[in-house]
Amino acid sequence: MAARSEAAYPVGWKNGRVASWLVTVDHKRIGILYIATSLVWFVAGGILALLMRAQLATPNETFLTKNSYNEVMTMHGTTMIFLVVIPILAGFANFLVPLMIGARDMAFPRLNALSYWLFVLGGIVLWLSWFSKGGAAHAGWWSYPTLSENFPWTSPGHGQDYWILSIHILSLSSLLGAINFIVTIHNMRAPGMTWMRMPLFVWAIETYAIVLLVALPALSAAVTLLLLDRTVGTHFFIPSQGGSIVLYQHMFWFFGHPEVYVMVLPVFGMISEILPVFSRKPIFGYKAIAFSTIAIAFFSMLVWAHHMFTTGLPVGLDSFFMLSSMIIAVPTGIKIFNWLATTWRGNLIFDTPMLFALGFIALFTMGGLSGIFLAAFPVDWQLNDSYYVVAHFHYVLFGGSAFGFFGGLYYWWPKMFGRMLDERLGKWHFWLLFVGFNLTFLPQHMLGLLGMVRRVYTYHHGGIWEVYNLISSIGSGVMAVATLVFLVNVWRTNFLRKGIRAGNDPWLADTLEWYTTSPPPPHNFDSVPYVTSARPLRDLRRRLAEQPQ
Amino acid sequence: MRRKLPSLVVAVLVALATAGVATAGNGGFAPVAPASPNATHIQSAYYLILGFTAAIFILVEALLVIFIVKYRSRGRSRAVEGAQVHGHTRLELIWTAFPVVILAIIAGFVFYELPNIKSAPAAANPIHITVEGHQYYWQFDYTDSRTHARSIGTLHVPAGAVVDLKVVSPDVIHSWWIPALGGKIQAIPGRTNHTWFQAKPGSYDGQCAQLCGVFHASMLATVQAGSQLSYLHYLATWQDTIGKQIWNGVCATCHGNLGQGGYGPAIANNSLLTHPVALSGIVHNGVTGTQGAMPPVGDTWTPEEFKALASYVRKNIYKPAGATSGG
Repeated sequence: MAARSEAAYPVGWKNGRVASWLVTVDHKRIGILYIATSLVWFVAGGILALLMRAQLATPNETFLTKNSYNEVMTMHGTTMIFLVVIPILAGFANFLVPLMIGARDMAFPRLNALSYWLFVLGGIVLWLSWFSKGGAAHAGWWSYPTLSENFPWTSPGHGQDYWILSIHILSLSSLLGAINFIVTIHNMRAPGMTWMRMPLFVWAIETYAIVLLVALPALSAAVTLLLLDRTVGTHFFIPSQGGSIVLYQHMFWFFGHPEVYVMVLPVFGMISEILPVFSRKPIFGYKAIAFSTIAIAFFSMLVWAHHMFTTGLPVGLDSFFMLSSMIIAVPTGIKIFNWLATTWRGNLIFDTPMLFALGFIALFTMGGLSGIFLAAFPVDWQLNDSYYVVAHFHYVLFGGSAFGFFGGLYYWWPKMFGRMLDERLGKWHFWLLFVGFNLTFLPQHMLGLLGMVRRVYTYHHGGIWEVYNLISSIGSGVMAVATLVFLVNVWRTNFLRKGIRAGNDPWLADTLEWYTTSPPPPHNFDSVPYVTSARPLRDLRRRLAEQPQ
Repeated sequence: MRRKLPSLVVAVLVALATAGVATAGNGGFAPVAPASPNATHIQSAYYLILGFTAAIFILVEALLVIFIVKYRSRGRSRAVEGAQVHGHTRLELIWTAFPVVILAIIAGFVFYELPNIKSAPAAANPIHITVEGHQYYWQFDYTDSRTHARSIGTLHVPAGAVVDLKVVSPDVIHSWWIPALGGKIQAIPGRTNHTWFQAKPGSYDGQCAQLCGVFHASMLATVQAGSQLSYLHYLATWQDTIGKQIWNGVCATCHGNLGQGGYGPAIANNSLLTHPVALSGIVHNGVTGTQGAMPPVGDTWTPEEFKALASYVRKNIYKPAGATSGG
């Protein structure tokens, strides 16, 4: 079978070591490319974060000031969201969805390759903006007008135009990917795999893709109007000529809040795969978790204006968006409690994926609870745009998303490459990251309450402000060390080939991707068993154990 | 040891959180000590939410640690399965309903407190101020005064008076925030927003909370809540100091305290400082040269202010080129 798949590339050069990756339409290779590229951007975006923390370590520093700081801050946010979290999750989805549902590939393999290469292009365009006239975009990742408009004292030059172009390219990439996932999941599931037998990660990707389809057009429209304002003299967002700035805020956040769930739903899915396997139990309340995913996705589209409580909305709107935001806490709470219950009376095995999954629960709970303060709009009037918000969304997006995808990397690495990441280094990675993360972001809650606003390149207070900022900067250094440990682990495992060889199913897992070899052949499966439950591999193990010798 | 670390971390977090509540607002565990009724009522809502969320946080983290300790593998083989429990409908309904009740209490309390936060108490003589966010300073117009009065960076009000703020911006979005005097409200071009405070005697600092450009971090504001007498004194004498206020609050941000230059060019030796008309033109319209742009910082200033600025810089900042310094 393996030999026949090579016939797909009849031209010799396409089988080369590098060329075969460049022309590939194999979902597994595309998934790995996505993940590898995202990790490169993760390092780049992380370096930007370290620069900011270096500047903010003590008051009145002059290391990185004014426009340079604003550029670094804008690029850090845009990079981490659009070039790291979204694409790395798309990478997992690419690699895993066809394997988990027992399919040969994605529904549209070439479209899939196009999604990936558009992502690469979007990233290059964004980072080229450093070299453009006027430097990179420096209006923050929301790029609110009029600061992002083309006035001499707001955002002249082309950095903002590169930013808009890059957002367009990346949106297109995500949109094509989303369509591909939906078609694949709807049409290519293995025999017997009904909706209620689908792995929870696939459920998460289904909802993730639908949210992307609904939310992305609003962003594309907003940045298109901004581009027209900047280049051809329209004034959609220029109030002095009849435009409306609040309109941009509505359009941006109509995308921006569902976006948060785009970045965390697939991670919820990963946690729902990892926890049961390392607890040696089924997930507690499969249906509750699947339906709460759908509920979160639905309500995520009704909460956008909680980012706009300080724009002076009428009390009626403020109240609606407070209640809808609070409602989201309910399905999220269901997940947390169901995950906890999954570990109850289990046989908990603390391999690195499990550490990251448990760390995820500990940290995401914090991020979820701090969000309730922000949903209560009068309290948000105090906390909005302060470091409290910075702390809150890093607990969600780093403590949540990043801890989740690191757990996913350790868990599925043997399936991707046939070798296990080193457990010792993995545990060092986890503990350093866990401690470093809390050192970095816990004090930022306090800073925000003390009155430190976000996006400032310096502050003038000594005392407790300095103490918290210094702790935060030290923590960022610890996180950098943790990331180095991870990179060493990858180097050791894959390039020095010291990783232990993995069999088909090193973790005794439940889902179909572990049925095939590690790494899987290009065609994934020679045959797929008839699926009779949400845990086909456990069923198979039991059937084998029951067979008379 | 590895397994004890999470519980240690949680214990430290809990200790920190309770210590924070005990010291009530010190150390950044609650909004800064309120000095106005709206801030006080926001503080109460904060504490109510903190009470519930802290309880849930401790519950979740404690269960997590207990389960980790209690159900750890203890060397059992991976093949040994845990209890094959697939769910428990009643339990799941409980942890669906229980957050609903808590959130309903929080939302109810927010609505109960809202009138005290949103609306100023009825007062016989509220003071009306127009707050204008501007790249990169706050400008205050005292619109009750029979003769118009203005200040830059510092707002002078009588302590105890209800102050009604009209918040506007001519250029980009800013956000008005004095933590001790209540929440934020954005200053949005093309819109007029309102907020209020009723300050206890004292001096309260804050700064622009919405990224507004290169000097966002320098856009500070102070509210001086003093006696009625000192307030009236300021209204009567504002023209004596406005030139200095403009220089310190607006020009010095880019050009340095002595005009020695900084982000903007050095201007202490520039003879333009002695030409009021040319100076007004630049300050009013901004500069869009190849050397970099200067925003039209003075596009809402009156002729008196330009005059005051021109006279201040001529006397205090301008140093003719070649003149020896010091002496």
